[in-house]
Amino acid sequence: MNKKVINNINIIAFLLPAMILFIGVLIAPILLSGYYSLFDWNGFGAKTFIGFSNYVELFTSDAIGFIKALCNSLLLAGLSVFVQLPFSLGLALVLGRSIRGERGFLSVFFMPVLISTVVIGQLWLKIYNPSYGILNVFLTRIGLESWTRIWLGTKETALGACFVPTLWQYVGYHMLLMYAGVKSVSPDLREAAKIDGATNGQVNRYIVIPCIKPIIKVSVIFAITGSLKSFDLIYVLTNGGPLHATEVPSTLMIDMLFLRNRYGMGSTIAVMLIVLCFAFALLINKLFKEEA
Amino acid sequence: MAAENEKTLFDMDANKYTIKKTSKVGTVLVYIGLLFWTFINLFPIYWMFTFSLKNNKEIFGENVAGLPKHWLWSNYSSAMKTGHMATYFVNSIIVTVATIIITLIAALMATYAITRLVWKLSKSVNAFFMLGLTIPIHASIVPIYVTLSRIRMLNTYWALIIPYAAFSLAMGILICSGFMGDIPKDLDEAARIDGCGVWGIFIRIIVPLMRPALATIGIYTFLQCWNELMFANVFNSKDQLKTLPVGIQALSGQYTTNWGPIGAALVIATFPTLFAYIFLSRKIQESFIAGAVKG
Amino acid sequence: MKKVLATLLAAALVLSCVGCGKSGSAKSGEKISLDMWCIATESDSNRPAYEKAIADVTAAHPEIEFTWETFENQAYKTKIKAAVAADEMPDIFFTWSCAFLGDFVAANRVYCLDDALAKWKNELPEVMLGNTTYDGKHYGVPTTMNIVGMFANMDILASVGYTEVPGTYDEFIECCDKLVAAGIIPFGCAGKETWCVTEYLEPIIEKSIGADALNDIFLGKATWNNPDVAEAVDKFQAMVTKGYFDPEGIALSNDEVKANFIAGKYAFYMNGTWNCADFANDPDGFGAKVKVSEFPVINSGAAKLGQLIGGPSDTLAVAASSPHAAEAADFAFELGRLICHYGYLDGNGLPAWTPYGDTSGINDLTKAVSDICANADSYVLFGDTAQSADDANTYLSYVEKVYGCEIDGAGFIEGLANDIR
Repeated sequence: MNKKVINNINIIAFLLPAMILFIGVLIAPILLSGYYSLFDWNGFGAKTFIGFSNYVELFTSDAIGFIKALCNSLLLAGLSVFVQLPFSLGLALVLGRSIRGERGFLSVFFMPVLISTVVIGQLWLKIYNPSYGILNVFLTRIGLESWTRIWLGTKETALGACFVPTLWQYVGYHMLLMYAGVKSVSPDLREAAKIDGATNGQVNRYIVIPCIKPIIKVSVIFAITGSLKSFDLIYVLTNGGPLHATEVPSTLMIDMLFLRNRYGMGSTIAVMLIVLCFAFALLINKLFKEEA
Repeated sequence: MAAENEKTLFDMDANKYTIKKTSKVGTVLVYIGLLFWTFINLFPIYWMFTFSLKNNKEIFGENVAGLPKHWLWSNYSSAMKTGHMATYFVNSIIVTVATIIITLIAALMATYAITRLVWKLSKSVNAFFMLGLTIPIHASIVPIYVTLSRIRMLNTYWALIIPYAAFSLAMGILICSGFMGDIPKDLDEAARIDGCGVWGIFIRIIVPLMRPALATIGIYTFLQCWNELMFANVFNSKDQLKTLPVGIQALSGQYTTNWGPIGAALVIATFPTLFAYIFLSRKIQESFIAGAVKG
Repeated sequence: MKKVLATLLAAALVLSCVGCGKSGSAKSGEKISLDMWCIATESDSNRPAYEKAIADVTAAHPEIEFTWETFENQAYKTKIKAAVAADEMPDIFFTWSCAFLGDFVAANRVYCLDDALAKWKNELPEVMLGNTTYDGKHYGVPTTMNIVGMFANMDILASVGYTEVPGTYDEFIECCDKLVAAGIIPFGCAGKETWCVTEYLEPIIEKSIGADALNDIFLGKATWNNPDVAEAVDKFQAMVTKGYFDPEGIALSNDEVKANFIAGKYAFYMNGTWNCADFANDPDGFGAKVKVSEFPVINSGAAKLGQLIGGPSDTLAVAASSPHAAEAADFAFELGRLICHYGYLDGNGLPAWTPYGDTSGINDLTKAVSDICANADSYVLFGDTAQSADDANTYLSYVEKVYGCEIDGAGFIEGLANDIR
């Protein structure tokens, strides 16, 4: 009996620092956000209880444009899963074959991950600058002047222009995760397949990729929740403009919280973001389970 | 133990299978692709370095992509003096290192309780912590601000360290569980027979064996908090406490039309990390990979 | 080793908490400490005025320990709102007048300045306090006031045969057409910062429907659903589609556009008169080329010259939570008066306070603005300051759509009438 009590005290003691941090900084504020999302409140004045009106308005109001912002981030998530990850996987498979210069390539491809997002944003702002940016200058020099654009200022190109650095930065991240998986596939297994006459492509398709499925799953979850949460780079590059073409839920939320003084609505977006991230994580887990 | 596992990832090269069937053309194409991607990765960094040393005249036309004709080191002194980049760099390091230490201690202790001690709710508690992986950091900015101000922690390093540590915790626990799973339970048993309590086992057995996890958690935590802009902007208003992302944003507001000093600031913010990475790249990659494999 | 480290760290955490807890109240010696937040960063043209004013006031008040911090404009808006939400404002803070400060006042977070104001009544005309008066009580110390000015590069105008800025709307359009024909871009406008677009749009609406009508709309006394507004918006949009505006402007920040104007890329630049000092003090002598005027009247049946966009907006306010609010209020008035004085001398705008001392050294551009204001008929405050935060941002997003030619005048008034209130 006594021993059990001591055991429990020990468990609580071991969990205490993490629990305090976690509940104090993550869980409590989120519960608060959930509570505030039911109010019409500017953050400092009197609160008016309005039930779920914020949620209704969020999904129905064109003026807020949440659906558009959500579509943008889902598009980013889609690109991330169907372009960035396959590309990363391709790199990982190629480098995993132990080709010459493997380590050098690996090191270079991982580099952008280590650069601060704000630095990358500022750098790409310069790359995209309509008059002096390297992209337009390059296009002009090679005679493709008609291809030059005001990349971040035109509705049609701005979203794409924001996605390129986002996808670019994290290719290395996913590549290294998958590379680890590729390397941990037993060489005997590969050798055996080779002896049976399998080509490199077949080895990858039937042996390597199934083996690294758990890692691909982690990558997919990170890519999707990361896309839904994306903020810093878009904040630096366009802050949601031009004409809300690059708005994502996070920029919308900051807008509501700090520019429009609609604290209740900002909290509503926060809650929706968490729900969405969570739902997607569950969904992906389920999809991978069914396939396996 | 864990360290040995990591090494094998690279040392397996010894009995690797080789490219036998691939045609020469295929190999050449693969290399062209890889070199092209290398270029895409390195060129922006190179360009950033060159324009940090040029004046607007060169950047805006005379010499867009070449090495600077006149190496304008004064851009760096403006970034250092007006931009206070050195201070911001030190602040970023202080915040990041402290965050890593706190995350590490909290994650180690929690993981120990979850994976090594026997109790009913351990699985649920683990799932509860994993919620943290999906929570966007910006969602809780105002409640955290209000709390920090109540406990009088705004405008201190803690205003960033504590939230960052909380947000890194989920990843930390995930990684720690992976590493701790590799430590055989027999060791605990042996220590218990020798008369060690749970704390004794934790400090004498687990903590020393978890050393490889340190680097891995360090890297993941670094990636999370080195970049963070929003909290850093709102929670600290004192100039001497600003971190790099905030400092760079402020500087770019001041020098919108003078690219040189901005370039210099970007280089100051980036190159030390990159140099450290170049020297430690193998170690960093191994630790990063360990996180993936264990997680 | 790890244990020692952990213990040390825990101890440091506890100590620092205790330390922080104390620092708020410990310094209760004889000195009063006052803290101020403002946006006069090192690149802000108001910076020297703030520095001089602070040096003067702190020298006159050795009993006050004064500290101040500056933030970049956008970051500051986030900052001050979070601080108000947490009731953690500094003693004195910079704010914009009208709706921006009004929200804080409504939440009882701002100290009423009526008592402190009594001393300064003679130097501060009541008309300048209108934007910071709520329910008959005064809550703000105005510093400078500014209007929207139309700056013209006379060298460029001369190249198409003008020695004066065209005085009527028709002549003005003719001039722009000539500029376009000569391959010169008439206007530069920063699309990345929508307030810059309003600096063009608001004078055009005002000169079409008249100051009172526009003011009523901004203050919610009249509906946006006004066909005359739609017509004015269409006129503005026609200028965009006719190529009067630099197409690259949509991706640029205001600083970049302003630099382009100084570099001679545009003939006109409409923006706040706080720019006067930067133009006048340009090291390459740009000041001599620039003239400032107001936008010509479009519909003389409703509007007339002297109807301007602008007014006192830059304001200092005192936090109700300040432990030394009364002292902070006096300090804010003295400071505001000097910031106004030095700012006026530097050419950062017009004084909200009655000017004193030798003002002969003021640059010609600011003097010209002074003359325009001397003949002013009425002022309509900037739309994004006059309207509440939510409405102002809805308004700005519609202005952005007009500039991007997504909607026309009819869509503009219809949308705003629907989405505001």
